[in-house]
Amino acid sequence: MAATEGFVEADNTEAIITRIEHKSRKIESLLKQSKPVEALKTALEGSPPMTRDERCKSANWIVVHRALMAIKDVDGLLSSLDAEYYDILMNSISISSSRENGVNGGGEFTRSRATFVLNMYLYRGLSTGDRPTCDQCLRIHEKLTERAGLGCILRYLADTVNTV
Amino acid sequence: MAAIAVHRFAQSITCHAWSPDHSMVAFCPNSNEVHIYRLLQDKWEKVHVLQKHDQIVSGIDWSARSNRIVTASHDRNSYVWNFEGTEWVPTLVILRLNRAALCVQWSPKENKFAVGSGAKTVCICYYEQENNWWISKLIRKRHDSSVTGVAWHPNNILLATTSTDGKCRVFSTFIKGVDTKDSRTGSSSDSKFGEQIVQLDLSFSWAFGVKWSPSGNTLAYVGHNSMIYFVDDVGPSPLAQSVAFQDLPLCDVLFVSERMVIGVGYDCSPMVFAADERGIWSFIRFLGERKIASSGSTYGSQDLYMGLLRPHPTTPFELEPKHKELIQLGIWICQQFHKSLILMKDDFSVRMVVESSFILYQFSEAFVKLYGQSKHVVSNDAVEPSRSRGGIHENCISCIVPLRQPGISTVPRFSTSGLDGKVVIWDLENQADLSVYL
Repeated sequence: MAATEGFVEADNTEAIITRIEHKSRKIESLLKQSKPVEALKTALEGSPPMTRDERCKSANWIVVHRALMAIKDVDGLLSSLDAEYYDILMNSISISSSRENGVNGGGEFTRSRATFVLNMYLYRGLSTGDRPTCDQCLRIHEKLTERAGLGCILRYLADTVNTV
Repeated sequence: MAAIAVHRFAQSITCHAWSPDHSMVAFCPNSNEVHIYRLLQDKWEKVHVLQKHDQIVSGIDWSARSNRIVTASHDRNSYVWNFEGTEWVPTLVILRLNRAALCVQWSPKENKFAVGSGAKTVCICYYEQENNWWISKLIRKRHDSSVTGVAWHPNNILLATTSTDGKCRVFSTFIKGVDTKDSRTGSSSDSKFGEQIVQLDLSFSWAFGVKWSPSGNTLAYVGHNSMIYFVDDVGPSPLAQSVAFQDLPLCDVLFVSERMVIGVGYDCSPMVFAADERGIWSFIRFLGERKIASSGSTYGSQDLYMGLLRPHPTTPFELEPKHKELIQLGIWICQQFHKSLILMKDDFSVRMVVESSFILYQFSEAFVKLYGQSKHVVSNDAVEPSRSRGGIHENCISCIVPLRQPGISTVPRFSTSGLDGKVVIWDLENQADLSVYL
């Protein structure tokens, strides 16, 4: 859960860009092997980038968008995310330990991390206003809400720390 | 059935409380009055009306041993009501607030009560014998926003609060002359009045409905982002668990036992949370009839919502004129929702969270209605209102109150009230799957 590590400062921007470029190449090769679900999972890994730098965010969005648009079988995607979700569930409801002067849970959504991050990108997709993107995002959003419930949307709306 | 009694008292109820023997219920029908009803031969009869507040009564608590009622109101005052002869006699408590009082609770020993307020302060009130007067002592400059909930630790000293700044805090409320040295226990032994023991910063958004477990070892509160938080070892090094759930946010919680919590809120059905042997909390199930519509209509309604957004709507059935209004409403809600989506990352985000959750709620309800009606119109069946959402409450549940039996720490019986004006009594005794947590 990189989310708890805080924001990376500006001098790391280049490192993040390099990482995103690397991720992008990996995704392209996965798409060529027609493994769109794997590609999207790769894209969502380490997302959102822990930075306020807009350049990193848009670079990452382009990568996620590329993978998102390649998804044909939404149910297949979500069942595969579900497996991961249960995995995360089993491994990480470890009781988070506290810090000085209280406990900080900011940015940590261990239980539904995968669906939560996906949802964030769906909203970014919807905000572009681009017809094919919106169509695709709405299609996934519908299925995602069926599985993850309204709570997932509310958590996204309430989140002031993670931005994509 | 988990619900053993349902009665609709008013259009809407802001809060309620029970008399010590549970024969009478006091509630505020969303006005400046408090109504007291008694059950006489299977009929609820209004026996008293407490009229003193100028604005909506936001909190009521009825003390179990001293039979006193305390009320808090948006008019910034509290009254302590004593039953003398045949009527309730009010005593004004000047809280010294410049904003509304939002919640109130008697301390376990009933010698103090706490009021949370919109003035970012908590008032700890106690009775001063020589002046025959209730004194209000303020905990100031600790909260960054309104105090939405207060909860007393069983030791009569520690007070937990939740606030719209998203934090949950625990304070010492030791008052010289009221509390004795020996009532101080453990880590709170050297703390003065108003000292902050711990601040929990787990929620991104508004926090509500804090409660202590019967032993005072665990604390639970909810966030407006559909999360519930459980905190053990409250003190310098607390242990916290966050549980995300699928449905709309909760408003209030209640510990039924050390290992079971009931949460109530915008989803209209109480939710059961429980801790397993390792102490890990999770959502168990809904109480009462789960709204059958949930997986079908509520979320399935997105077919329609997507249909509306598309240039050529593909509505799944013939529309009747009266449904057009609902469709208009749906479109409007979608637009609002979309607007809030665009705005959400700026300074308005907090406000938008509330608006969006409200819109989402209305949105789902509107479409459940639409779907429900369209089915019933065909069969010419009258829709029974209470069944429209399949649950016992038809609107947001705002208040949950334990029905304690003296000497027993677990509370298998409790009551809920909500914006639908109903008071529902629940009993967990006959819920076989939950008995292991009691």
